[in-house]
Amino acid sequence: MKSLLVEGLSKVYRVPIPRESTKGGESRVDRFREFFSIPLARDLQGTHEVWALRDVSFGVDGGTVLGIVGGNGAGKTTLLKIISKVVPPTSGRIQGHGRVISLLELGAGFDDEATARENVFMNAAINGIPRAVALERLDDIVEFAEIQRFVDTPVQFFSSGMYLRLAFSVAINMQPSILLADEILAVGDLAFQERCLEKVRELSTQTGLTVLFVSHDMEAVSRICDRVIWIKDGRLDRDGDPEDVVTEYQNATWDLLGGGENVGARGSSRASKYGEIVDVKLVSSDGREIGAPPRSEDAYVRIRFRTYRAKTRARCAFDLYSKGTLVFRSAQPDLCQVAPDTAYEALVKIPAHLLSETSYSVSVLVTLIRGEGEVHALAVKKALTFMVYGEAGSEAGSLRRTGVISPVLEWSLEERAHAVRA
Amino acid sequence: MPSAPEAAWPDAGTRADLWVIEPRQHGVLERTRELWHYRHLWWYFALEAIESMYRRTKLGWLWLIFRVTAPIGLQSLIFGGVLRVDSGGPPYFLFLVCGTTTWILFERSLLTVTRSLEQHRKLVTKIYFPRLILPMSAVAPGLLYLAVLLVVLVGTVLFYRYQDGVWYVTLRPELLASAAAILLSLIFTVAVGLWTSVLQARYRDIRQGLRYFMPFWMYFTPIFYPVTTIPESVRWLAAFNPMTAIVEMFKWGTLGTGHLTVPSIATSLTLIALTMIAGTWFFIREEAASIDQL
Repeated sequence: MKSLLVEGLSKVYRVPIPRESTKGGESRVDRFREFFSIPLARDLQGTHEVWALRDVSFGVDGGTVLGIVGGNGAGKTTLLKIISKVVPPTSGRIQGHGRVISLLELGAGFDDEATARENVFMNAAINGIPRAVALERLDDIVEFAEIQRFVDTPVQFFSSGMYLRLAFSVAINMQPSILLADEILAVGDLAFQERCLEKVRELSTQTGLTVLFVSHDMEAVSRICDRVIWIKDGRLDRDGDPEDVVTEYQNATWDLLGGGENVGARGSSRASKYGEIVDVKLVSSDGREIGAPPRSEDAYVRIRFRTYRAKTRARCAFDLYSKGTLVFRSAQPDLCQVAPDTAYEALVKIPAHLLSETSYSVSVLVTLIRGEGEVHALAVKKALTFMVYGEAGSEAGSLRRTGVISPVLEWSLEERAHAVRA
Repeated sequence: MPSAPEAAWPDAGTRADLWVIEPRQHGVLERTRELWHYRHLWWYFALEAIESMYRRTKLGWLWLIFRVTAPIGLQSLIFGGVLRVDSGGPPYFLFLVCGTTTWILFERSLLTVTRSLEQHRKLVTKIYFPRLILPMSAVAPGLLYLAVLLVVLVGTVLFYRYQDGVWYVTLRPELLASAAAILLSLIFTVAVGLWTSVLQARYRDIRQGLRYFMPFWMYFTPIFYPVTTIPESVRWLAAFNPMTAIVEMFKWGTLGTGHLTVPSIATSLTLIALTMIAGTWFFIREEAASIDQL
């Protein structure tokens, strides 16, 4: 049974055409002049149409966790807003079953000066749920949010983690049939993120909850989603298996950011107004820069980057390639708060006896996230190329190490009498 | 074993509920049903509106009393004491209290109703609920003013009973007309507010304009003077201000001095009804478009 059916959905926003460009951005003087221009004439400059969504169609079965990926401004949030009835569509039709609960922004609808308990009731009321039902679920909500001691504390005194836990807990306890989650799990500590994802999975399998999960966290998307759609410039670009769509999306993002194979030393994407990747080196355990690590020693990929703007969180990741094949991707497990105008150094260990005796290249991605999920990515494709050399002739009768990796695995060989009997 | 979906939630019935989202907006019937479904929300917004009036003030509810009584005291001093306006019977202060009651309810509520959509911008752009609840529940602060005014009214009546030995207001069936006036005043507030709240979402000029326009409206409403002081030749014009009928109806019910004619009441009632119908139509049509621009 289809839990949600979206047919030919389009949304047009009318955006006022900006006045003739004022050179070098709008200054205070310009705004002052604007203020004193003939009032109503300002409205006559007309608007142009921006298609946030264009002819998007898809269906979701009950109990599915559908991932939605796409760049900033691709229309993901607009789609969720239309499904949650906040914004009406321009054309098209959506049909669904049951209650839709949206987590477009954690804590939207929370009154800071009210207590956690009052906010639970307030949220229930906003979602059209009787007070009695909310009262029944209060214990569950409080328990999942782990705020038992603070039920009667105004939420303005909550830590951001507690706030987040409460908001999520309220949402999943509002008996949703469809849950819309927009980049909400990007905040909060890892342990809670885990619990949220687990809970989402659990509800989808046990109660048939359908989840639309918008995220830039590809790792989370591939882990919890059953299916992924990729929205590109308001159109549905791909729809399919998480592995396939995520890989394709990531490759496209790499290409976009890396600008192809030949990235100059100062490629445009390695620096933006938010930060810059300074350099990427391979270093030994004592910190020396090395070009060709021996297989028998740990090696470290060192990513040096700096930030420019305030209030960002950062996550470094790298892809290790060998002969054009992605060997693996590794990313920092959580987003770290970084200070503005500061230099950082990320170090990731590649353990000894993992890589094969061959050449590798490393592409680096540093994601800077401002506020509620405004993502700025810095990337350097083929930031580093190195060759691993082995311990020549150390073992008698050793076979040539072949393949993209050659980890040292534990082997055992024992005599087994019963195996022979057969 | 995974439990059946129906067993998981207590109100399993709603899970079968089919809904459809289309560009066409819902009709009035559907809206009314929705308003009922979300009835719990009324109280929250009403209480919130009241709370936000005096949030972070030290004097709290004292402001409420001060803001009601101070203007009446001053107006009474100027119009009654200095200019000696003839009330046509009862003491001027009492006449003034009766005149302002419905007006203050209208004026105070209209300002909060106008801002209701704008002030809940964060909520309205993130969560869906029937937006009609916002302007409708924003009359709550006005009702609080009304309560204070009614207390002042009773106090004034008691005061004159002891001073003059006369009950200027007595318990009689005509008081029902005053209650009707209060109700009409509320309806008219919402009717006008349906227009202003949507427009305010787009043009913040509305509130600016309203602030300066309201005193003019007040002087054109027979609050400080009996309607009979308006020259007979232009008195019919006053009927086109629905507040005239409302204010006069309240005075007629309490003091028995109001000047009510059938044509004037009919005109006002028609105007109120038209504003309300057109306002509802306008709100439903424009609400969504306004929210895009909030």
